Amino acid sequence: MHMGHEGIEMFPSTSLSLGSEARATPLDDLESVVALYQPRVFRFLLATLRDRDSAETLTQETFLRAWSARESFRGDCSLATWLIRIALNLARDHTRTGRFRFWKRVSGNAVDVAEVASMVPTHEGSAEEHLIAQQQVAQIGKTVAGLSSRQRTVFLLRFLDEMEIPEIATVMGLPLGTVKSHLYRALAVVRAQHESAFNNSTARRATTRNATTKETQ
Amino acid sequence: MTPQLTTQHGIGDNAPGEQHLTGEQFCELMAGYTKAAGAESTPAEAHVKACEQCSAELASLREAVTLFREASSAYADEELRSRPRWEIPARRVFTHRLVPAYWVAAAAMFLTALLPLQVLRRHSVAPLATVATSTTDGVADRSAQSDEALLEDVNSEISASVPTSMQALADPSNDETVADNESPVPTSNQRKD
Repeated sequence: MHMGHEGIEMFPSTSLSLGSEARATPLDDLESVVALYQPRVFRFLLATLRDRDSAETLTQETFLRAWSARESFRGDCSLATWLIRIALNLARDHTRTGRFRFWKRVSGNAVDVAEVASMVPTHEGSAEEHLIAQQQVAQIGKTVAGLSSRQRTVFLLRFLDEMEIPEIATVMGLPLGTVKSHLYRALAVVRAQHESAFNNSTARRATTRNATTKETQ
Repeated sequence: MTPQLTTQHGIGDNAPGEQHLTGEQFCELMAGYTKAAGAESTPAEAHVKACEQCSAELASLREAVTLFREASSAYADEELRSRPRWEIPARRVFTHRLVPAYWVAAAAMFLTALLPLQVLRRHSVAPLATVATSTTDGVADRSAQSDEALLEDVNSEISASVPTSMQALADPSNDETVADNESPVPTSNQRKD
């Protein structure tokens, strides 16, 4: 068995290169699948759990589960959708445990929105604009963290993972209308929070501009 | 769905009572799930094109969400890079077509292990049998001879007219016999002499 860096057994070494009788699955080439989808699964789990170690452990667990259940993958949805569905189920089970809630409260592995905001790419623009962009990202991060579990999942799948609504419905096992409803509510909250931030930043920019003008005069 | 523009206070200095996007329309435009490829623009989209306030708000939120995605992705990638890379072990190929080959190999190994035993047995069984037979025969012969001798002795002893132990009494005149069978205590005749 292969060991992950935490000593977790990841993949049985006796993996199969299936013969003619057995159905070939996309997971037969596990190394390629991991290389392709690991960043995506990890990013989704990190945004959902906001805990680095849990996100990595569950990412490994996702691929282990997927490999174990590769025969059940019928190709009805894309492999990415299937993997995210496994990851979501694992995250849901994980966050239900009291142990996770306890460690989330006391551990230093929790993701800080300011840390995420500091990763805002420095496109062309002034330092002020970059700062405003960071504030907006931090604001969205905080707002998303405060959403209900389902609203947050729908929001992240749509805007972080860029999944289409039918795909989100497949991943979450919900009707299309329910997904839209959750997305609408999530966006309403995010919009409201952003609007205040946008007004504030607009006001700040106007104040700064006025101050600069007065100094010049 | 019939788009209904509603009266909302948005961003900027629009006069109260001006019609703007509803929350649902804003959400649909934001999520971008209403417009199929090549479809005509909806009234909401037409409004956004015309209304500077709604357009600015939509663009601002889209930009913020895009930045959130980029920052989150960069953060996750950075975090993933800082952690040890997983190593997938080299996989052992097991093809069902090779199953007969595995059986043949197993049988060959079994026979190879069995062959030296057979050779050893062939070489060692015959001398052992000979030795065992000869040994057994010798012991049996000796046993038979000794039995024969013993029986012969017993037979001759039984068939004798006077038992060996009573031989001295059978012929008292025979000195040799007496001398042969003398005892430490002198007899009455010897004392007389």
